[in-house]
Amino acid sequence: MHLRSPSDGVRPLATLPAGASGTVGRVVGHHDGDRLDRLQALGVTPGAAVVVLQTSPGIVFLCDQTELAIERAVAESIFVVLAEE
Amino acid sequence: MLRLRAHPLKIALVGNPNVGKSVVFGRLTGRYATVSNYPGTTVAVTKGRALVGAEVCEIVDTPGVNAIEGCLTEDEQIAKAVLVGDETDLMVQVVDARNIRRALMLTAQLAALHKPVVVALNMVDEALERGIAVDANELARELGVPVVELVAIEGRGLEALRKALADARPLSVPALRDVSSQVTWAHEVTSRVRHISSLSLATVQEALSRATRRPLTGIPILALVLYSLYLFVGVFGAQTLVRFFEETVFGRFVNPAAIAVMAFVPLPIVRDFVVGEYGVITMGLTYAIAIVLPVVATFFLLFGFLEDSGYIPRLAVFSDRIFRAMGLNGKAVLPMVLGLGCDTMATMTTRILATPKERLIAILLLALGIPCSAQLATILGILGGISFGALLTLFGVVVAQMFLVGWLAARVLPGRRSEFILELPPIRLPRLANVLTKTRLRVWWYLGEAVPLFLIGTMLLFVLDKVHVLGALAQAGRPVVHGLLGLPDETAEIFVMGFLRRDYGAAGLFRLAQSGQLSAVQSVVALTVMTLFIPCVANFLMIVRERGARVAVAMLAVITPIAVLTGAGLNLVLHAFAVTF
Repeated sequence: MHLRSPSDGVRPLATLPAGASGTVGRVVGHHDGDRLDRLQALGVTPGAAVVVLQTSPGIVFLCDQTELAIERAVAESIFVVLAEE
Repeated sequence: MLRLRAHPLKIALVGNPNVGKSVVFGRLTGRYATVSNYPGTTVAVTKGRALVGAEVCEIVDTPGVNAIEGCLTEDEQIAKAVLVGDETDLMVQVVDARNIRRALMLTAQLAALHKPVVVALNMVDEALERGIAVDANELARELGVPVVELVAIEGRGLEALRKALADARPLSVPALRDVSSQVTWAHEVTSRVRHISSLSLATVQEALSRATRRPLTGIPILALVLYSLYLFVGVFGAQTLVRFFEETVFGRFVNPAAIAVMAFVPLPIVRDFVVGEYGVITMGLTYAIAIVLPVVATFFLLFGFLEDSGYIPRLAVFSDRIFRAMGLNGKAVLPMVLGLGCDTMATMTTRILATPKERLIAILLLALGIPCSAQLATILGILGGISFGALLTLFGVVVAQMFLVGWLAARVLPGRRSEFILELPPIRLPRLANVLTKTRLRVWWYLGEAVPLFLIGTMLLFVLDKVHVLGALAQAGRPVVHGLLGLPDETAEIFVMGFLRRDYGAAGLFRLAQSGQLSAVQSVVALTVMTLFIPCVANFLMIVRERGARVAVAMLAVITPIAVLTGAGLNLVLHAFAVTF
């Protein structure tokens, strides 16, 4: 079995291919916007299950049972703990 | 407990967006609902009455919210005001059983209001189909309030919900001040009450969802949607229904009756005001009811269908990048599509956009480039008879102009664009009853809010005509129209009239074109200029209402020269290349 270092398994949502899945590790706030609040209210919080559905145009992913579309800049701030294959 | 009281018990429905709140509302109240704007704002709050036991209760359907603490949208602020104030004695939180974790974050915030609560666990059937089981009894123990399982769309569980209202009590959950502890609590409760056997979207739904939000399949689907829009609104609404209302209802009955009644009024000016050339009834009401109403009603019907099917938010996904160049984000697609029906209403819906800058740009682009259904009908009617190239030229010029103006506005105007974060509701077959209710409420909005604007516009026209300003305006416009645009003199009058009453402008152009006074090139130029103008006086008055008179006048001052100069440039280019279409 292939062993990974912990940092290997945590990646920004923006870098994941369609089909990738895992759980939200942490969400980084944004200096002036309300990004964190809005994502939290939509259920994008640590522990939530995510599946990437589409990466272009626009990133679409499933968070629990909510289908969300976000722009790349927002996806950069969501860190996903990848599911072990 | 429910008991006899002087005032009816006030129940507020609250919940995240797309959890079926309005379906629950419809099931509880029957069809006797009224929509009113929340005082001081313009977000619609739906109210109705329902019989619970032997008691008549007042039910308020609040806008869908994700939070009532922290940084709130306008909808959320209004929902919060309704929940906090005297308007609410009891809350029913409607929860999508598939998305319980998210709902619980809202529950944690509702607990701070200390009002009696019943939790309605909706869509339990869809949740089960996806392998999600929520233990309602366990959840009731966790929250200390009644939890009722519902399939609202089929009316299942509604009787249990009515009964449970008597047992409503304040939530007994720990006071959680900050969001992160609310997140943790919601996560923990979820893990205790929810059991998942698989995590996936239903496959047909997922396939449809994917098809609509990807360009390769999405663009053909969009073309199909636009074509049905044209058939239903442009042909059935704008031609068949308009003919019936204008010629039969108003032409044979309403107007002759009004004229007969007014014949008893001795003052000619009063007669003219009501039934004259620019009469409130013969022109204003005829226009608003016979000509525009069938068009907007058919449009609202189709739009409501698209909205409930979950299609429109998916359109936002693949138009996001395009709108971003214009200082907007994908959400702007909703007002833009609505603008194809009625720019006046679309101007009002720009409120869904998050920042003042986005709203301003969207209003500007609506006024500048998006042709409303009445304009579309004229464009297709005249240019469709010339050639496809003529149509393509007009739309090409208009779209290019929108991009240019949007791009410039994004850079010139102060403020910022909001980030694109959008929930995509499930793709589902809309229920006819819900679509009809929506359409009915929108048509009522049109009758209450837009029709008065048309009547005011007609009165303005009446006054301008009486003081001979109308003729002077047309006179002043002649050199521009003739010299710059290369159009016949009569078009000046048509443009002025067109602003005040769309179909007059359209009919005027039609007449000119049919009598052979407009060449193909002149038709394209005239229609391009007309499309780029602010659509109508009602749209202008709506901009005044939304953004104030200063902004509205500034837009008029920006749009008018753009429209004229674009027309002049187009005229030059078409002549230089000797285009004949």
